[in-house]
Amino acid sequence: MTHHLPRLLAPLAALALAVTACTAGSSTAPAPAGSSATTAGGSSDRITLGLVAEPASLDFTKSDGAAIPQALLVNVYEGLVKLDQDGKIVPALATSWKVSDENKTYTFELTDKAKFTNGTAFTAADAVFSINRVKTDWTTSLKAAMDVVAEAKAISPTQLQVTLSAPSNDWLYRMTTHLGAMFSATGVDDLANKPIGTGPYTFTSWNRGDSITLTRNEAYWGTKPHYQSVVLKYFKDPTALNNALITNAINVVTTVQAPEALGQFTGNSKYQVIEGTTNGEVLLSFNNANEIFKDKRVRQAIRHAIDHKALMETCWAGKGTLIGSFVPPTDPWYEDLTGVTPFNKATATSLLTQAGKLGATLRLRVPTLPYAVSCGQVVKAQLEAVGLKVTLDQLEFPATWLEQVFRGGDFDMSIIAHVEPRDLKAVFGNPAYYTKYGTPEIQGLLKAADEGSVDEQTAKLKQVGRLLAEDAAGDVLFLLPNLMVADAGITGLPQNAIAVAFDLSKLGKR
Amino acid sequence: MLLRIAERTAVFLVSLGVSSALVFGFMVLLPGDPARVALGINATEVDVARLRAEFGLDRPLGEQYLSWTGGLVRADLGTSYISRAEIGPQIADRLQVSLILVAASMIIAVLLALPFGTLMAVHHRRASGVVLSAISQVGVAVPAFLAGILLISVFAVHLRWLPSGGWTPPAYDPGLFLRQLLLPALSLGLVQGAVLTRYVRSAVLEVLREDFLRTARAKGLTPLRALVRHGLRNAAVPVVTVLGLQLATLLVGAVVIERVFVIPGLGSLLLDNVGNRDLIVVQDVVMVLVVAVLLVNFVVDLLYLAIDPRLRTASR
Amino acid sequence: MTGLSRGAEALLPPPGRRTRRGTEATLLVGGVIIAVIVLLALVSLVWTPYDTGEINPSERLALSSDRHWLGTDKFGRDVFSLLMVGSQTTLLVGLVSVGVAALVGVPLGILSAMVPKWWGEVIIRANDLLLAFPALLLAIMLTAVHGQGVVTAMIAIGIATIPSFARVVRSGAIGVMKTEYVLAARAAGRRPLAIALRHVLPNVASLVIVQASVSFAIAVLAEAALSYLGLGAPPGTPSWGRMLQEGQELLFVAPRLEVFPGVAIALAVLGFNLLGDGLRDRFDPRLEDRR
Repeated sequence: MTHHLPRLLAPLAALALAVTACTAGSSTAPAPAGSSATTAGGSSDRITLGLVAEPASLDFTKSDGAAIPQALLVNVYEGLVKLDQDGKIVPALATSWKVSDENKTYTFELTDKAKFTNGTAFTAADAVFSINRVKTDWTTSLKAAMDVVAEAKAISPTQLQVTLSAPSNDWLYRMTTHLGAMFSATGVDDLANKPIGTGPYTFTSWNRGDSITLTRNEAYWGTKPHYQSVVLKYFKDPTALNNALITNAINVVTTVQAPEALGQFTGNSKYQVIEGTTNGEVLLSFNNANEIFKDKRVRQAIRHAIDHKALMETCWAGKGTLIGSFVPPTDPWYEDLTGVTPFNKATATSLLTQAGKLGATLRLRVPTLPYAVSCGQVVKAQLEAVGLKVTLDQLEFPATWLEQVFRGGDFDMSIIAHVEPRDLKAVFGNPAYYTKYGTPEIQGLLKAADEGSVDEQTAKLKQVGRLLAEDAAGDVLFLLPNLMVADAGITGLPQNAIAVAFDLSKLGKR
Repeated sequence: MLLRIAERTAVFLVSLGVSSALVFGFMVLLPGDPARVALGINATEVDVARLRAEFGLDRPLGEQYLSWTGGLVRADLGTSYISRAEIGPQIADRLQVSLILVAASMIIAVLLALPFGTLMAVHHRRASGVVLSAISQVGVAVPAFLAGILLISVFAVHLRWLPSGGWTPPAYDPGLFLRQLLLPALSLGLVQGAVLTRYVRSAVLEVLREDFLRTARAKGLTPLRALVRHGLRNAAVPVVTVLGLQLATLLVGAVVIERVFVIPGLGSLLLDNVGNRDLIVVQDVVMVLVVAVLLVNFVVDLLYLAIDPRLRTASR
Repeated sequence: MTGLSRGAEALLPPPGRRTRRGTEATLLVGGVIIAVIVLLALVSLVWTPYDTGEINPSERLALSSDRHWLGTDKFGRDVFSLLMVGSQTTLLVGLVSVGVAALVGVPLGILSAMVPKWWGEVIIRANDLLLAFPALLLAIMLTAVHGQGVVTAMIAIGIATIPSFARVVRSGAIGVMKTEYVLAARAAGRRPLAIALRHVLPNVASLVIVQASVSFAIAVLAEAALSYLGLGAPPGTPSWGRMLQEGQELLFVAPRLEVFPGVAIALAVLGFNLLGDGLRDRFDPRLEDRR
């Protein structure tokens, strides 16, 4: 039998050849940049950031999701204006701007130094193109905020005039988000793969499933950033993200998804731990179109039933802020509304009894995100303790959750952090939104706030915040903290994550 | 002999055809219109219709199937609905990563299984053999991803000897490539090695009972030397078969290890795109995996023909 | 993953035989482990030390003590109670997936041995085609359609296990079909169904039992891997795989939360494997009986 061995080996050798050929073939593809993550530790001109939720595409005009603007806005694309760390609107591509007396006409003076990375200069014509393109080509939910624009025109190459159909406090604020990103009129052919902007960084490569690499734009018109190269590395698993920092594979954990594990880093002089706030209200949302939630007592009972302090303690290691309504402390119209419906099991049970809904079953369908899965179990336990029944399931995020809960409305309750800044109107001012809420009273207040003076805006929005808590339109479980861990020497990390973008140009080294 | 090879080849080709139809049919069953999914929540009907036309989703199913399989034959896997990126090069890159990982863990498994399996067989009545056998039973029972988690916590996080994960192409930095490869390959290889050890043991035991070995021992050779000189090649046949089966399924199975060690392989490409609902990518990856498994089975079939003389002449 | 990749080996001839004494020991150890797990699962249906649905912030991450034998998790739930209830999921997934596989695989295997040779070849080739869709791949595809959950996982694992049952049964049934009493029954004009039920099935029953035990072990590993990927039991449903996944982020704070479910899974797999090995030897007439 032994003499058959050579014949046995022949096909094996063929297989080995096939494997080598395959390897050789694909190695002609460019070596994925950023894959050599461990070199990040020592080098002063390269920094590697660990993030969660890799985008599916780089085109935020067509795809929703916070990950794309987080990486590209301010860094690759710039807007006319941007937000500073205190939440103030400051110049970017516009050096200054004037607002007409009736708050309807904005005149921007633009810089004449900025250049797109495809070589063309940035002019007012590009700004007009970018603003008009929102209405014609964008498909994401954000585009509605541009509807208020009646006309955008270039007065000169460095002067832009935008006329609104009605006064809007919100419009200029929205222009700080990716809605206001400036595109080159000749550079929008392949936004999904080749973003072209005027920013301090240029897009270099995207190693799908792993990392995005940005390189310093040496022709940048403003102050050039410290790091020559920035690698944004994406992790599916929160523990792997933390481990990567410990083993020097990355320099910064931009968002700690396993807060229980923070103990590994605190008190270690090698690392800095940043704890700030965000815009991310973790909302226990109700499907207000469902019969059971048309009864205000049921909604209030749920708010009374939840022990928010214990919840935050168990599901997010006590990190975060209890706020009671849908306004984060960094907005001017914030007030602490945690006392509106205090934790009280007896009140909850009696409200349910009055409504005749004791023992009713609710479907809690959460996305596969660490905080949602974790808090979902606590919410289930706390609601069952006052006499409700809760069936909990998790839906793959983003696709399945968006399809079934967000778009399909096939749920009673869900849990998701709404991270967009100033999203009161988007979430609770539109009966077509998945919360199915937006009473005429609230809509009126929102409209008055948008069109009124700055003081009026603050007063009206405060009123909205309180109304939402009293009417129990939903229950804000807590405000997500901005939890970051980084190598000790890194400077310029944002204390509070309140902007849409992650400003990489500020990063430096001590 | 030629007839047999032709028969196996025909079976292989028919299997390819049937499974491509199965995969395509399954994807058609999936809820949700790929174009609508790709465009997001606020897409208008006009946008969706435009995209459907662009991707050819408005054509009859049969036509879509033929154009997809036609593309596969020409190695043209199409373009992602969402990222608009070419799928072929992505899959080629990821497949390379997965193949290296699987090959490395196979090597570890074989290096473990051959000596230990042989030792266990030769000593199967002694305490050492029984102890080794018990260890292999425990090894089989540990989930590989748990082994991975434990290896990371010891060697990466506590001792800081090795990276906790990541992937570097070998050409880019060979040293780092090996350091990053070691732990994931070990997690897969240790457990797989335990499985394989048990087959090596039984194959060697089987051979030990053969007459020619008894003869050799009667001539004064020790069991081990008799085995090395005459028996190992015979024991190789069933072991190679297990290896083939393991190879095919490992390629898919490595996905959990890829998740634990943040390795951009084929499995994670599949999981990511199920999450993103990039259905054409899912369809292509599933098909590539199925082809890989069928291909390995085909090669094993041919190996049988080469190994077993009875198969070559008589009918089964 | 390897749990999912182990299905293939079930197709191969069983690994070596033991001595009579070894067989008894293997059977005993395997049997005791499985009996304990089944007992815990049954008891947990009516009683657990603590309610696993209750969240208790003041007791979170407690160490092992008299109150909590194995400590508590980050929600303050008693780990021992969770393990008890989790064994229900483990056994359920194993039972249903092995049941699905046997219900389809056994008739398929017998059929392929009884029909004319050419048809048998077609059946077994179609059966082999299923091998190209490992449990994980099936689970991912099914999850995309039906959503994640225990039922999806059970069906995926079950379907992926069909080929090994069909293969094993076919090999046994081909032998039975050649025996004289079957030839006699056929000559006497017995109906094929009667032959299958009266003669073939009882003769392959021992093969099926052994295969079921081994497949059970594979199903336990598969469930753990699927839960780890988030494709198994939903949150709030105690499951060993899910506990492993939840314990991972606390590996440095409370490693016991990873160790206990890990040990439970390993023990269950070990138990079913030993039981399968022992039964196989017990049924094997060729077992060497020296000493």
